[in-house]
Amino acid sequence: MRTKEKQRFPAWTKTAVGLTLGIIGFCIPLFVHFDGLSFAGHLTLGIFLVAAAFWMLEPIPIYATSMLVIFLQIVLLSTQGPLYQNAELPSYTVEQTAQEEVWRIPDSALQNNTVFLRTGARSSEEIQIEVVETENGFVFVRSDEISSGTEIVSDVNHILTGYTPASYTVFMGTLASPIIILFLGGFMLAAAAVKYNLDKNLTNVLLKPFGEKPMFIILGLMLVTAVLSAFMSNTATTAMMMTVAIPIALQVSKEDKFRIMLALSIPIAANLGGMATPIGTPPNAIVISALNAQGESIAFGTWMLIAVPLVLVMLLSAWGLMRVMYPPTITRFKLELDSAFDKSGKAIIMYFVFALTVVLWITEAQHGIPSGMVAFLPIMGLTVSSVLEKEDIRSLPWEVLWLVAGGIALGISMENTGLAVWLVSSISWDVFPQIVLLLVFGFVALMLSNFLSNTVTATLLIPLAVSMGTSGIAGDGFSLVISAVMIGMACNMAMLLPISTPPNAIAMSTGYIKTADMVKIGSIIGIIGLFVALAYAVLFWPAVLL
Amino acid sequence: MSTIYILCVEDEPEVLDVIVRDLSALEDVFPIEMAVSADEARNIIKEIKEQGDKVGLAICDHVMPGDKGVELMIEMQGDEFTERTRKVLLTGQAGLDATVEAVNHARLNRYIAKPWDPDNLVSVARDELTTFVIENEKDLLPYMGALDAKRIQEAIRARGTISDY
Repeated sequence: MRTKEKQRFPAWTKTAVGLTLGIIGFCIPLFVHFDGLSFAGHLTLGIFLVAAAFWMLEPIPIYATSMLVIFLQIVLLSTQGPLYQNAELPSYTVEQTAQEEVWRIPDSALQNNTVFLRTGARSSEEIQIEVVETENGFVFVRSDEISSGTEIVSDVNHILTGYTPASYTVFMGTLASPIIILFLGGFMLAAAAVKYNLDKNLTNVLLKPFGEKPMFIILGLMLVTAVLSAFMSNTATTAMMMTVAIPIALQVSKEDKFRIMLALSIPIAANLGGMATPIGTPPNAIVISALNAQGESIAFGTWMLIAVPLVLVMLLSAWGLMRVMYPPTITRFKLELDSAFDKSGKAIIMYFVFALTVVLWITEAQHGIPSGMVAFLPIMGLTVSSVLEKEDIRSLPWEVLWLVAGGIALGISMENTGLAVWLVSSISWDVFPQIVLLLVFGFVALMLSNFLSNTVTATLLIPLAVSMGTSGIAGDGFSLVISAVMIGMACNMAMLLPISTPPNAIAMSTGYIKTADMVKIGSIIGIIGLFVALAYAVLFWPAVLL
Repeated sequence: MSTIYILCVEDEPEVLDVIVRDLSALEDVFPIEMAVSADEARNIIKEIKEQGDKVGLAICDHVMPGDKGVELMIEMQGDEFTERTRKVLLTGQAGLDATVEAVNHARLNRYIAKPWDPDNLVSVARDELTTFVIENEKDLLPYMGALDAKRIQEAIRARGTISDY
């Protein structure tokens, strides 16, 4: 009987460390006061820290952390929650003094030369003032924004200061936000395509023109993988393409490096292909929803216009790189590509819905119907026609939608409690040119998402980039659209390790490649990708996005 | 993750050794347990159950002192713990009646006649274990290298349980 190997640390160590760090992170802002951060900002910081710890160390599944985030937000930060339900801002009516534009206020109303105008029982607005003198418990301040009878908030540490609580429906509503519905539409199309084998048949048809020479087969596999993974999940595409690649691999000897190339090309192409459309992979959703919240919308076709050239360049670079690193010894292959398209009524309906949806998505800029609305076409069409039945709907990747929704919800609170601005304001970013900031953001995103979930990386970084743009901390010429897109792209270029992305894990488990192969090619692609994306971000994207 | 065992039951130790040697390619992932009688096999199954592991594949001879191979298999089919175990009869002497009995009552998956071709034995074992892990395991990735990778990839695609994140 095989005895179980004794591990250096028992399996629960990681869980225990993750849970402990998360709980400590949550508690820090409750006991430590940070200057310049509102009370609600402290609460959000606690939620941010627990979410970051749980997302990074995964003591609980990452989608469960998202659910926890939304739960904490509706309890702690919503208007209807126990903290804010009956809260009202304490009011103080300013007193005029003999001097013009100098007003007397209690010193509890002042913090670092700012006071808050009380614009309602639960809303306030920050203004800068100049302190003239202080006198036992009162401060004389100068400001032209205050007039006789102006009500100010008498306590800057009040829980409502600097934060207008959002309704709990805002946090819950993230699960039905347009970007989530867009993804749901994409998931349903992908599920229907898999159910009726459209993905396989399409692959066989598309691979035919690439002939039988090894390097062209690899190119064909990569292009087809990228196209499919732009509309389906990267993981499902990888698994499907592997069923094509494995019979090829079995034709070459175990020592032939062509096997390595074969097993690497597919996950690389799947990871890259996910960048190509908004629905390609979840980090794109985080980018788009964060920009939507700032009133910046990116149409489906616009996204493709900026991402597809990047994907193409990266695919060709990866292909060229592998050609040099793993030159094939074999010259010709037999590829058995039998396509048998399902011609049943339901399958035909599915082809039609699929094609129509994709066309409407790509032409969003022309007809003006938002892609989230178009996504209801497959949701409706595929269920009304029973192409997808109850079991199929149940087996959609709902947890991915929850993961993204939690990320969007956290982003909302980071913005409206001022936490995101507070986090980035400690460094004077405006001394750096935009290109350096993009490089730094891209590099951090690339590094983090090699170890973390790509979506989580985007969730943690994008609110910071957006707040640098909106607050003006980063100076003139900083585009929040371009920096958010850059972070999103960098997250998808992380493919260093088997744990970096699920497609990498799938490729690794075939046993054709060693971790060292993946690290070698993954690190080069990551770095090339970062600089190619940077070049696009500086030279090409502004023409499309700004 | 629980370990999936291969159980080989054969009364002649030399033959048993040959079977195990033929299957050695699978042993890294699927440890092999040997039994020379149905009784010993029962004890091994009991131990595996107590460890919280599984028996993925049972390869049994028929003619043995004590309980016959087919009887053991029928018993395994009746027990919840070994019901899903893939069952292969490896024998030269099972009569038609015993074989029919095995097919009907033990849901025999394969029949291999002695003497066997080692490649055939491995491919049958690999195929049956692939079916076992696809039907019983949540995470298929650890088994891909040792088993039929194409079928496992296909199962991953069809199940859709691994998603992007």
